[in-house]
Amino acid sequence: MKFDSTEYLVGDFYDELVQSDGAARKHARSLVDYFSNMPAKELLERQHAADSTIVDMGISFTIYSEGDNIDRAWPLDIVPRVLSGTEWDRIEAGLIQRLRALNMFIDDLYNDRRIIKDKIVPADIIDSSTNYLQACKGVSPRYGVWANICGSDLVRDGDGTVYVLEDNLRVPSGVSYMLENRNVIKRVFPSLFRDHSVRPVSEYPTELSEMLESIAPASSDGEILEVVVLTPGIYNSAYFEHSYLARTMGVELVEGGDLMVGDDDFVYLRTIDGLTRVDTIYRRIDDTFIDPEVFRSDSTLGVPGIMRAWRAGNVALANAPGSGVADDKVVYSYVPEIIRYYLSEDAIIPNVPTWRCSDPAHLDHVLKNLPELVVKPANESGGYGMLVGPHATKAEHEEFRALLKANPRNYIGQPTLSLSTAPTLAGDTLQPRHLDLRPFILQGKDVEVTAGGLTRVAMRAGSLIVNSSQGGGSKDTWIVEDMD
Amino acid sequence: MLSRAAERVYWAGRYLERAENTARIVQKYAHLLLDLPSEVGLDWAELVRIVGAAESFEESGLPDDESAILQFLLADPKAGTSLAFAINMARENIRNLRDLLPHETWENVNELHRFAADNLGQAAAGTDQFEILGNCIERCQQINGTLIGTMSHNSPYHFLTLGQSLERADMTSRVIEVAATYIQQNERIIRRYGSTLWTNVLKSVSGFQMYRQYRQPQVIGIDVVDFLLRDQAFPRAIRFCVENARKSSAALPNSDHVCNALQRVQLELLGSPEDDTSAEDIDDLVDTLQVRLADVHLAIVDTWFLPREE
Repeated sequence: MKFDSTEYLVGDFYDELVQSDGAARKHARSLVDYFSNMPAKELLERQHAADSTIVDMGISFTIYSEGDNIDRAWPLDIVPRVLSGTEWDRIEAGLIQRLRALNMFIDDLYNDRRIIKDKIVPADIIDSSTNYLQACKGVSPRYGVWANICGSDLVRDGDGTVYVLEDNLRVPSGVSYMLENRNVIKRVFPSLFRDHSVRPVSEYPTELSEMLESIAPASSDGEILEVVVLTPGIYNSAYFEHSYLARTMGVELVEGGDLMVGDDDFVYLRTIDGLTRVDTIYRRIDDTFIDPEVFRSDSTLGVPGIMRAWRAGNVALANAPGSGVADDKVVYSYVPEIIRYYLSEDAIIPNVPTWRCSDPAHLDHVLKNLPELVVKPANESGGYGMLVGPHATKAEHEEFRALLKANPRNYIGQPTLSLSTAPTLAGDTLQPRHLDLRPFILQGKDVEVTAGGLTRVAMRAGSLIVNSSQGGGSKDTWIVEDMD
Repeated sequence: MLSRAAERVYWAGRYLERAENTARIVQKYAHLLLDLPSEVGLDWAELVRIVGAAESFEESGLPDDESAILQFLLADPKAGTSLAFAINMARENIRNLRDLLPHETWENVNELHRFAADNLGQAAAGTDQFEILGNCIERCQQINGTLIGTMSHNSPYHFLTLGQSLERADMTSRVIEVAATYIQQNERIIRRYGSTLWTNVLKSVSGFQMYRQYRQPQVIGIDVVDFLLRDQAFPRAIRFCVENARKSSAALPNSDHVCNALQRVQLELLGSPEDDTSAEDIDDLVDTLQVRLADVHLAIVDTWFLPREE
C-alpha cells in the first residue's frame, strides 16, 4: 500500500492498520484509503490545522525542567489508530474482569488476607511493598472497591497478541487528552466521522461524575452530593487534566488548603459562604502526600485528618489510599492467579511473562539474559528507572546487574516486546511508529470502560518511549463497528 | 466560591493596584525633584518614606543615594515594597486564577512581568525612566480595563474590587501624609514652591486635572488634602474608595462585619477641615484611617478567607 505514492513499509512489527503484505487491515480499509489518496501537501496542512487547534484550545501539558515549569502544546498525530469493535469487546471484557479481581484482591489484603492464607500470593511480597499502607487495614470502601479509576497500559506484540503491560491504580492520567484528541480530529476531519461508525468517548465526564457520586458515603444517600477534584496545584504536570475534569464535571477544583476536617471527622470545603460538607474527593495527589498527620508530615499538599474522616466512612476518596499495593510490578506478575482465585476464571487478556527477581532462579535468568530483557523497578512510573536491554550500553547493563543484586525484590524482568506500529506523520511521509494504548476503567457501583483510550506513540523511528514527558506523541483512537 | 480563590483575587487586585501606584509615585516624584532647589529639603529618602519602605530600606543597609533607592523601590524583586515585587505577586496570583479570570489577563500580566524584568533595572539607573514607568502604568491599566470590561460582575469581581479599593485608599492616605509635611514647610518656601508641591501631590494620584476641574483654580494645600480625603466623585479619594469597597462587600455573603468596619472608616471622614487645621491634625487623622483600613482587611480575612466551624 502507498501513501501519496511513497510505499509504506511495514517493518518486522505488527502494524495496526496495514498487514505485512501491504494491504490494509479489514477494519481500517476505508481509513487507509482516505489517507493514501491524500497528497503530502494536504497531510501537512491538516497536521498544521490540528496543531493550531490544540494551541487555540489551550491543550497543554507541563514539564518541569531546570527549575522552570513549561507549558507545552499537546502533541497529536493526525492519523487515527483503529481497532475493530469485535476485538475491542473482548479487550473490554478483559479489562472489567481484571479490575474486578484487583479490587477484590485489595479489599482482601486490607481485611481477611485470605489469598495469603491460601498461599496464592506470598505474604512477604505484600508486607514489603511500600504501597501496602498499614493505615488502611480494616477499611472497606463502598462496594469493596478501592481502585475506582484505573488506566491500564496495553501493548500488542509482534504476533498480534494484546497484553496488559501494567495496571495504573494510583492516579492514572491522560483521559483528558483522549477526550481532546477526539475533539481536535473531529474538527480537522469532519467528513471522516460521517463515513465511519466510531464509538463515542464523550460520555466519560458524565460516567466519572456518576461513579464518584455512587461511592459517596451511604449517610449522604438522597442528599445533594458535593464532589471535588483535589489537585496538588498549577505546578503539577497533569494540572491541565485536573482543571479539565473538574470543569467538564461541573465540580470544584480544590487544593489541600481548601479542605479541612472538622471535630466531627467530616471533611469541609472552605467557601465564602462558610464551610460546606464534601462527600467524594477525586484526589490527584499521591497516597503519601494526602494526610500529613498519617504519612509525610512535611506535605503541604494534603489535608490533615483526612485519613481519619475516610476511615470513619465520612468521605469517599477515589482512588482509596493503599490501592497502589496492586500496582506493584511484582504483584502484577500474580494477576492471572489473582483473577483465577477470586473469579474462578482465566484471564481474558494475558500478562507479559514476568520474572520476579525476588525468586533466586528468576534473578539468575534475568542476570544471564540482561541484554535481551527489559528490567523495571517495582514502583516507578512514567518509564523512569528502567533498563531496555537491547537498547542499553554495556555500562548500563553492569549498573543494573549491581542494582538487581543489591535489591532483587525491587525489580522484575520481562522479554522485550516488539510493540506494534501505526502510520504516523514524520516529515511529510507516513511511517510506522511504535505505540501503546491506555484505556480508562471506572468502577463504583457499576463498571465502565472508555471506547478505546489514549494511544501514545513514539515519534522517533525505532523508539519505544511513548511518554509525553520524554518526547512521545499521541493519536486519536477509534473503535469501529465491523461492517460486512 | 472557594475561599482560596477569593483570597487570590483579592490579592491580585491589591498587587495590581500597588504596582500601578508605585510606578506613578516614583515617576512623579522624580519629576518634582527636577523642579525644586535643595533648600526645600526634599530628597530620595523622602520617597522611601512615602511608599512605606523606610523600615525595610534601613534593614537592607543600602546607602541612601538615588541609584540604591531607585534600585530598591523599582527593580529589586526581593524587596517587599518594590515595583518588581508587586508585579511578581500580581502575576503569581493571576497565574493561580487562570480558570477564573478572562484568559487575556494572564497573557497581559505575563507580558507586564517580562517587560518589568527586562527594563526596570535600566529605569532605576535613570535611563528612559519616565517612559518605562509610564509603560508599566499603562499595562496595569490595560489589565484593569480587561477585567472591568470582560469579567462578570459577580463574587470574584467583587473581591478584585475590594482589594483594589483598599490598596488605593491606603496609597492615597500615604500621599496625604506627604502633603501634611509640606504644609509644615516655612512660609517663604510655601509662597515660592507651594503650588509646585501641591500639584505634585495631586499628580502622584492622577488627581491634578480632576481637582482643577471641580475645585478652585488655585491649588491650596488644605483644599488638596480635603479633596483627596473626602471627594465623592474622584475615584482615588479615600471616601470614594471606601464607598466602592462597601458596595462590593454588600454584594457578598455574610458581609455585616466587613460593612461595619468600612462604615467606621467613613465616620472618620465626616466634617471638613478648618483653615487652622494643623499638620499634626492631618497626621493624626491619617494614622487613624490607616488603622481603620487595616481593620477592614482583617474583617475580610476573617469573614471570607478563614471560614470556621459554627
